[in-house]
Amino acid sequence: MAPSGTVADPPPSSATDSFNSGASEENDIRPFFVLHKASSGSLQGKSTGTVRSKRTIESPTPKIAKKSEVESAEEEDGQFLSNRRLKIFETVWSKIEKTIENVLRDSNSKIFNGIYDWIRESFESIRSYGALSLSEAVRSYPVLTQASSKQLFTALVLTRNLEMVDDLLTFEELNLHLKSQGCHVAKLSSMDFSAKNGVGGCLRGLLRQFVMPTLDVADVTTLASWYRENENHKNPVVIIVDDTERCCGSVLSDLILILSEWAVKVPIFLIMGVSTAHDAPRKILSVNALQRLCASRFTLSSPAERMDAVLEAVFLKPCSGFTVSHKVALFMRSYFLCQDGTLTSFVRTLKIACLQHFSSEPLSIMLEHFCQDRSNQNLWILQTSYVLIFGGEGNGLLTESTMKHAFDLPSVTRNKITRSTCELLPQFLLDLQRMPNPWSIVVLCIYEAGKFDKLRLLDIFCETLDPEARYLKYFSPSAIVNCQSQVSGRSVIRQVLRKLRDLSPSQWRSLLKRWENLSAEFSEINDKVMELHPLKRSVEAAGQRQGLPNSPKKHASRSHTKLEKELSAMADKVAAVIEFMLREYMKPVESVPFHEILCFKNVDKLQSALLGDPRGRIQSDLLEAHNILHCICCSQRGTTLLPSMHDTSILYTLAQEHADVINLHDWYQSFKTILVSRSSKTKQNSKTCSKSKKRKDRCEEPEAPAEALIQARFCRAVMELQIAGLIRLPSKRRPDFVQRVAFGS
Amino acid sequence: MEDVENIEEDECGFSRNYFLAKELGGSSKRSAHKLSDINIVDEQELRETALNIETKHEKEISELLNDYKTMYPKWVFELRCGFGLLMYGFGSKKLLIEDFASASLTEYSVVVINGYLPSVNLKQVLLALADLLSELLKCRRKSSGSLSKGQETFPSRSIDEILSFLHGSQSEDKDCFICVVVHNIDGPALRDPESQQTLAQLASCSHIRIIASIDHVNAPLLWDKKMVHKQFNWLWHHVPTFAPYKVECVFFPLVLAQGSTAQTAKTAAIVLQSLTPNAQNVFKILAEYQLSHPDEDGMPTDDLYSASRERFFVSSQVTLNSHLTEFKDHELVKTKRNSDGQECLNIPLSADALRQLLLDLNQ
Repeated sequence: MAPSGTVADPPPSSATDSFNSGASEENDIRPFFVLHKASSGSLQGKSTGTVRSKRTIESPTPKIAKKSEVESAEEEDGQFLSNRRLKIFETVWSKIEKTIENVLRDSNSKIFNGIYDWIRESFESIRSYGALSLSEAVRSYPVLTQASSKQLFTALVLTRNLEMVDDLLTFEELNLHLKSQGCHVAKLSSMDFSAKNGVGGCLRGLLRQFVMPTLDVADVTTLASWYRENENHKNPVVIIVDDTERCCGSVLSDLILILSEWAVKVPIFLIMGVSTAHDAPRKILSVNALQRLCASRFTLSSPAERMDAVLEAVFLKPCSGFTVSHKVALFMRSYFLCQDGTLTSFVRTLKIACLQHFSSEPLSIMLEHFCQDRSNQNLWILQTSYVLIFGGEGNGLLTESTMKHAFDLPSVTRNKITRSTCELLPQFLLDLQRMPNPWSIVVLCIYEAGKFDKLRLLDIFCETLDPEARYLKYFSPSAIVNCQSQVSGRSVIRQVLRKLRDLSPSQWRSLLKRWENLSAEFSEINDKVMELHPLKRSVEAAGQRQGLPNSPKKHASRSHTKLEKELSAMADKVAAVIEFMLREYMKPVESVPFHEILCFKNVDKLQSALLGDPRGRIQSDLLEAHNILHCICCSQRGTTLLPSMHDTSILYTLAQEHADVINLHDWYQSFKTILVSRSSKTKQNSKTCSKSKKRKDRCEEPEAPAEALIQARFCRAVMELQIAGLIRLPSKRRPDFVQRVAFGS
Repeated sequence: MEDVENIEEDECGFSRNYFLAKELGGSSKRSAHKLSDINIVDEQELRETALNIETKHEKEISELLNDYKTMYPKWVFELRCGFGLLMYGFGSKKLLIEDFASASLTEYSVVVINGYLPSVNLKQVLLALADLLSELLKCRRKSSGSLSKGQETFPSRSIDEILSFLHGSQSEDKDCFICVVVHNIDGPALRDPESQQTLAQLASCSHIRIIASIDHVNAPLLWDKKMVHKQFNWLWHHVPTFAPYKVECVFFPLVLAQGSTAQTAKTAAIVLQSLTPNAQNVFKILAEYQLSHPDEDGMPTDDLYSASRERFFVSSQVTLNSHLTEFKDHELVKTKRNSDGQECLNIPLSADALRQLLLDLNQ
């Protein structure tokens, strides 16, 4: 079916459009049309006639219109690089994505197993009622009389998340998990529980998923006879409803009532995702339906917990090599905490950052090598260093201009590295890709200590990325640990250090154990941690002595002071270790030369791509049009309105002086005054024809336009404001006023 | 932390402005001037003049559009990375987006949806897209030499099935997609939740990339988080053009022309063209009846039903009612009761306009 065939030829338009060809004018009033088909270059053997109605912006300068040979060669290079970049972006991003998926799967696996165990146990208990014969199992009678046999086993899965978007993946994973265990699973969403389609709609949806995709009946007996087929009845049937709160309550209640009547014949398990509180079903379901539920509760991890796990896996453990700067991290944090609060948006922000990095930083293609295994990396470092020092073509990627760019990077010029003094280059590159990265080990160690105070990794991560922070200059860990007074300060690390003194012996033990594991691959830190072991033992011994039952009072108080002493000695020692870690290894990525290769820094770009602000920007477009158009005439206007300004811009500026409603008459009059203000006083009579009167030069003193033209321009400007949603047209009740909709951005 | 403060400050500014405006409205007496005090020119003349308004700053606008050309490679890269592009800012972005598509997306098929029109049938769009894709896949298979797997024909034509065909399998070539340009995705025909859901599902298909424009300041309210983060996957681009909204304006009434709410033959034709052939035929029966019985109040609904049924345009009263609802929604038909108390259908157009409309439809 050709789309153009469905649309009859439109009536001729009377608009005289300067840039529209006839064909495109016709296309303007078609609901849709094919602008062009894929070019033959990308598709061999394409012979179908393509309707081309290209519209192009006329270029005022021939430079852009005509491409020189050099330019087309550059274009080819650009094409090659862009393909290459795309490929590397995909490699890097798929690595990050896979990491995130694994983290989320791990965080849910315990709950998923719990749900499956619950299903199995309940299934066995239903089967214990005894086997039914085929004829019994597929008919709707006899009606069950025992209340207990009408119970529908239900799992309430608390998502602890007001936004469904994060849980879509979770329930999809749960679906797969249960299927892999042999359950029959169907997934329904709030869309299936609409009042419009009723309970029939969701039954149909169920049968389509279980029995046959093309089925169009809504009958439970079909489900029952399907369940008896083959070996189906050996496994339980599970229905997942992921967003219970958004379902139509009566439809869901009906479904529960119907299914519960069949509970023995078709053992159905309902899994309901609940985001608000565990009593949410009480608010949406009928009493009858509630009585049929036999509910168990499961709780998923909170978004903040998942966020920390993701952060750790993506930035602090070996992943793709891609990372973000302090400012970008701060932006992502505030976006997560203040605006969106979903992990999905955080991941999307990360993807946009990654994309922006690849589209703006030519050297980003080097990230390809950070994704490879260790032996390849070392080889690559040697190669790259050679190319950077001695010039030449390295893999066809490092052209002269990229190399120049590499030595112009702020981090390189700041460290005074030039091509002649760069014998240390391999070291810099090694530093960049060094794994395990000592910085991340330090961050994770601090995080482990902070866990006792329920600190979030997100906060610690943001703070430790700051290249400006001089940890040891501003505070010494040992001083803070010993300082009893409550020093105010926003620093998270400071908070962690202060907390150290309050740790109990068992907490010390677990902290040291975790530090040991974290630093296992990095001997410099590991050695220092190991040095703490004798102390740990004496703290433990003191703790045990104190904890001994039946010890005389005197002994108890003595052992208590002994324990305190040991603990404080321990805290001092740990503070010294932390001091050492901070001093030696707290080097955020932004302090390393050439970090621009793998670190995305442009927070403004990220923000504008992620958060469009149509409300603010469209208004500021109108109020400050001259800044965007760069026209000389209107830029010098100061606060006065000039007739040369864009009509809609004039009108909207005038609207600012009005209250929430604008009198059309007054508005029109002031608009007219602006347009004719500087012109000669020969005022036209209202009915004179406008066509002969055309203004000659917009930026010079314009002639007074005719009344009809002013009115037409007023109408056009009002219409454009209406399209932008900034005003509402007069209502029947108030025919002389338009209403302002937006007040400031 | 700084950001939080900024946000709060912005919000304060907003509410301050709002209350100032409200206060201003309450304290001073509202102007009592009437619109009729203006000596409004004849509506016809107003419309003609409106079509010939000279654009101010034409040179600066075209320079602005040319500046955006440097962004084209970046936009292509973003599309290829799987994002959707959302253009906003004051001015018509129609020319800009179509220029971008013609200049930089030559390797991909491009379908344009004009969301500013009063009615767009998304199912027809989906069918056209499925056709294009099956053609594309066929060509790809031919050139790669592999045998056709029979996947290029889509068996049935429900929206879900077309969407799943467009979604394809994940393992296929990621760079094989059709670009869908949606001018005014916040336009009147697409503003309802169902259309936005369909568009969002379309956008999430692996073989589809969307480039859309919005003009309304509140357009983002059309989408929930699932649509924004998982389906449309927007990257915002602020591209004010200051170009006049020439085509987008056609369907808006002129504020100074008071009687302008009546349908013109032209807008009616555009609406009708987007309806199914059967609906068009039912409308024709009604129009012909009205032309041949100029003195009556309109055609009784029952008569229309029997006439349409005889010619096999409708099979039941339900189908006819659905056509009539569509007509009424677009103000193509009004109902009245005649002197006998019968319900009559009437097209609110003059006889001349109606004749012109029939001519257009029959072409």
